Amino acid sequence: MSTATNNARPDSATLDAFAQDLDQIRSTTMEKVGQEDANYIRNVIRVQRISEIGGRVALVLGFLSPIWWVVGVLLLTLAKILDNMEIGHNVMHGQYDWMNDPNINGKRFEWDHAADSDSWRRYHNHEHHTYTNIIGKDRDFGYGLLRLSDDTRWRPKNRWQILTYLNLSILFELGVAYHEVAGERIFMGKRRKTSNLPITRKELRNAFFSKAGRQFFKDYVFFPLLCFPMFLPVLAGNFLANILRNLWTSTVIFCGHFTEDIHTFKMEECENETQGEWYYRQILGSSNFEGSRWLHILSGHLSCQVEHHLFPDVPAHRYPAMAKEVEAVCRKYNIPYNTGSFGQQYLTVVKRVLKYSLPPKQVPIEA
Amino acid sequence: MSISINRADFIHTAWRWLARNVTNNSSFSAYFEPLVQMFYTQWRADRFRSNVIDVRRESADMYSLVIKPNKRWQGFEAGQYIELTVEKEGAWVSRFFSISSSPAYFEQSGLIELSIRIQENGQITPWLPQALKAGGVVNISQAAGEFCLERALTPTLMIAGGSGITPFRSMLQQLARRREVVSQPISLLYYARSSEHFLFRNELKTFQQQLPGLVVHFIDTRDVGFFSEAHLLSYCEDFRSRDVYICGPSPMIVHARKVLQGQGVKQEQIHYEFFGPEPVSLDEDREASNVLFQQSGKQVTTDKDQVKTLLALAEEAQIKPVTGCRIGVCHQCICQKKSGVVYNSKTKTYSDTGQEDIQLCVSVPVADVVLEL
Repeated sequence: MSTATNNARPDSATLDAFAQDLDQIRSTTMEKVGQEDANYIRNVIRVQRISEIGGRVALVLGFLSPIWWVVGVLLLTLAKILDNMEIGHNVMHGQYDWMNDPNINGKRFEWDHAADSDSWRRYHNHEHHTYTNIIGKDRDFGYGLLRLSDDTRWRPKNRWQILTYLNLSILFELGVAYHEVAGERIFMGKRRKTSNLPITRKELRNAFFSKAGRQFFKDYVFFPLLCFPMFLPVLAGNFLANILRNLWTSTVIFCGHFTEDIHTFKMEECENETQGEWYYRQILGSSNFEGSRWLHILSGHLSCQVEHHLFPDVPAHRYPAMAKEVEAVCRKYNIPYNTGSFGQQYLTVVKRVLKYSLPPKQVPIEA
Repeated sequence: MSISINRADFIHTAWRWLARNVTNNSSFSAYFEPLVQMFYTQWRADRFRSNVIDVRRESADMYSLVIKPNKRWQGFEAGQYIELTVEKEGAWVSRFFSISSSPAYFEQSGLIELSIRIQENGQITPWLPQALKAGGVVNISQAAGEFCLERALTPTLMIAGGSGITPFRSMLQQLARRREVVSQPISLLYYARSSEHFLFRNELKTFQQQLPGLVVHFIDTRDVGFFSEAHLLSYCEDFRSRDVYICGPSPMIVHARKVLQGQGVKQEQIHYEFFGPEPVSLDEDREASNVLFQQSGKQVTTDKDQVKTLLALAEEAQIKPVTGCRIGVCHQCICQKKSGVVYNSKTKTYSDTGQEDIQLCVSVPVADVVLEL
């Protein structure tokens, strides 16, 4: 598949009408946003707090029975997943800014994660969400580590990229933290000549070390020392919780962006986009997966990645309801809408990683 | 500098550092806030959760909230204001109000009163009385403001317009309740647009009996017009030797200051307080709106014909806010609006008049706006 045939874009009149329908979905949803949404996010935060506190206590109770330790690890994992996905990711998109609550605010929120939230806001909220899947502009496509389309040249290291992918998954938190620093070539590689960084390279480096260091201190020094006789079990429990969280978040994000039928775009295709063309690109660049309510919540509703990309600042728990309407609109205009069960979508992710680990087949050039 | 202060500072800093490192929140209170709210709805770590005891109608368009402040609240001086914060449909909304009752009354009863005028088209003032009634919960800030009578009372002229009477009611009630002999003359010129709009009329008359130096003039602007030189000379001849206190709508304050200065009253004699934001009418056909960038101290005026976003205006004024996508997606350019109304061209909605976060790149000013930037 080449990108050219992939993106046989409907004409602009169709896309204008399509955009109007989507805008309508957005505005009818936003009219409903209010007390219910505030209560919802506060409740999720409460569950997060209770699991975190409960998890840390249970880890210490591990000396009574290993079952407590396991419960502790699971509760702490749950707390971290909720913090990162349903709370952190969504709050930092500004979904709850209308609440005027300084602690649930897109600009001030800091999450339980190695990545500095300001850095994440720059490259995720701005770069990834504005230039979704434009090769050369959206550094999230393959993260500079994986070859996931024919847009990038094949290199011998791509042969074993399934292992690179597994490593990335386990260490996902650090990958996310390192993403902007890597893109700016702060430590390695040739320094970029043009950079749009609003902060100095030094500030970026300091922010990276300060946040990652803080997280390390919290989970691997402070809490283990606080529970001193249980130093090692607490340390191991925190470590495991972080790894489990990493595996989960990485899987959710790969299922939202690197399934088999995801499209990529060239810079010149996306110049002077209309709203309709922008929406169209967001839909072709994301994929959903279906599941129960808890699956939606644990994925921070990134199970509805399509809706998230269309409406990044609408409170995420409204996405499943919007998804039905968006899918109907897509069907009306004959625009592909990528969804499937969690298992199915994950299989196609693995397929994609494997497929592009091999060099492209030589296509005979027609005269 | 004593060592104990340094030690308290050190402990405070260390505690905050620990909270930041361990909870990723700005303080431990912020971390526990959602849990505490399960038991005390609307509790906030940085505010004083207080109960509304009564909502009292004062006139057709004014009412008073009688509030019992939280025990930790530290009291106030007559003439000061508080920031009132309530939750409306999931969103915190804040407004500044002068306290209209006296500190003496607070010491005796533990209550304070806020007297609030209902602003037409307002989102908050018409809604508050229904939402709170008796038994409602509000959050209040510590009292603040410099608009207080000098400690040693000098001959005084008070000029109040409409709901601008509230801080004066507090001051006069305080003088009356303390039952001190006030030997200095006090004149109050109270302007309202018709006789039924005079608030606390009976109470002010009682104060006149209790305070021998006090003279209150109820001035109906429909009959005799707005504040002028002629009024000064006829109601308070010796105004040049008095301290002048002005409170009311912004245009009135600006006008009164000009008149007084024109009559040779020195600037340091004039005390004034802008009473809340001006009421904003959206369909008002104004030619231009002013945008004040608070931190950089710059002000720009926009033309209604040439619609420009706040981001464009800021950049034209050589202010460089953090920006990102410029299409309202990435929320990098979020900035706090202190007051005023903006139109969000992406969501096609108008903002509230109070303090809130807005996106610079898709917001257009529709009334005078003050930004934190």
